[in-house]
Amino acid sequence: MSLACEAVAFSYEEAREKLTALRDVTFSVPAGGSLALLGASGAGKSTLLQVVKGLDEVESGAVLLDGLAPGHSGYALARRQTGLVFQSAELQLFAASAREDVAFGPRRLGWDEARVAEAVDEALDLVGLPPALFAERHPYALSGGERRRLALAGVLAMKPRLLLLDEPFVSLDPRTRQDLVMVLERLRASGVTVVLATHDIDLAWALCDEHLVLERGEVAAAGAWDFGPSGGLLAGGRLREPFLVQLWRRLGRDAASAPRTVAAAAEALA
Amino acid sequence: MSDVRADTPNAVGPVLSVAGLQFRYPGAVDDALAGLDLRVAAGEFVALVGANGSGKSTLARILGGLERPGGAAHAAACGHDLLTEAGRLAARRDVGVLFQDPENQLVAQCVEEDVAFGLENLAWPTARIRERVDGMLARFWLTELRRREPHLLSGGQKQRTALAGVLAVPRRVLVLDEPTAMLDPAGRREVLEAVDGLRHEGLAVVYVTQEMDEAAGADRVVALERGVVTYDGPVRGLFGDHERLRRLGLGLPPAGELALALGERGRELPGPPLTLDELVLGLEQVG
Repeated sequence: MSLACEAVAFSYEEAREKLTALRDVTFSVPAGGSLALLGASGAGKSTLLQVVKGLDEVESGAVLLDGLAPGHSGYALARRQTGLVFQSAELQLFAASAREDVAFGPRRLGWDEARVAEAVDEALDLVGLPPALFAERHPYALSGGERRRLALAGVLAMKPRLLLLDEPFVSLDPRTRQDLVMVLERLRASGVTVVLATHDIDLAWALCDEHLVLERGEVAAAGAWDFGPSGGLLAGGRLREPFLVQLWRRLGRDAASAPRTVAAAAEALA
Repeated sequence: MSDVRADTPNAVGPVLSVAGLQFRYPGAVDDALAGLDLRVAAGEFVALVGANGSGKSTLARILGGLERPGGAAHAAACGHDLLTEAGRLAARRDVGVLFQDPENQLVAQCVEEDVAFGLENLAWPTARIRERVDGMLARFWLTELRRREPHLLSGGQKQRTALAGVLAVPRRVLVLDEPTAMLDPAGRREVLEAVDGLRHEGLAVVYVTQEMDEAAGADRVVALERGVVTYDGPVRGLFGDHERLRRLGLGLPPAGELALALGERGRELPGPPLTLDELVLGLEQVG
């Protein structure tokens, strides 16, 4: 599913004061593409994801899904096919078993039980929690990393075509992080569009075709990754370059053509 | 510069010492801590690593006197018995704990009030509180932000405020539970610099992290696996043992990962390099 934001603005009311959270945010991601959403804490990344998911209504501007504008007959469906994985989503697990927790979303979509069961098993497998071992476990009997993946399964079971992820890697151990990277690569390969809000610039570089930097609610840089001296990416100074880009620079190579993964870097250097 | 360490003229032996430490969460099937042994000496900077669910945070809370051990042959922090309620209360004064989430550690209306909070609870005289708070604000680069409301601070500023508040009370041990995990790169850098500045002052630091490049800077690294210590020694000893790292669900810092991948392709680097500088040097040496 393609995503386009056109001059999106959003503000919060707090103590009768209007706080602008997003201003004139314009960008697009093609169907099957992936976008890294970067920026300092408080820059508006989470707000933007919530606006795209429709949890917050835009003040002005529009969020186009599959090229459709709000009000179009297909828009509601496109919105249901947009999945948002919250930051620390594991805190929202509530059911008595992993299976029940993952089944909650699909049931709300009105699917019959056979379809729900199939979707649950598939989602659990996809995130590396095989149903035979995990489906009947209580969420609290899972480790932190397993719970995070269970929360992701709850969103994936609804078969999103656009997946919005808010800091999914925070506090995961290196192996779990690597497992999650593989899950996301698999989803990308299956054509799911991904928007990844993260502070982990190395994983953003590894996973995402393009980037968008927010600064105080406004777009500071967008589109292809830019590491030029004018520093699209480094605008605002709160970001750093990916490790492999730094390495390529230090080796006197072209930073813009730095490899995305350690394996690719090793191939190039071996 | 304000000294963060409590005066401990008689301190001998380890400041943290647990043996056979056990803990299980209500309703859980497995022990979170399953007979864990650990000693930390005054002034040591120890990184605590391990997979999700290996027991790091549970251990951090117990060492800080915030959680009652399920049992232990022996469990003491700064000489206080963690197996007794009175000991845990006393340990809470000597051991400061900083948590991960910058959003829920600040309690007061502005930065300086927050830094003063612990001292007010200890009923320090006002003049001494002011002096101590001024020192902490200067030390953690917060002086200009002293009147600022917490919700107007960046994540890194919030964590530095929380750290200043924890250390305003003179401590002998500081336990940090993934203090940078939720911060943006600039915030992470700020907090790492602040923590790095605590070295060599006699304050023992236990630094829980999932970031291997942060662990690489410690004097010593302790790795947990299912509630017990499975490695305790020099940083390079752990990062040189790939089998063990894999089993533990851990990895190498990016420089080390790349060196490993190069080795698998027949280009061995001396090391393992743990930083970008070491990696670049290694690549130049091998040619």
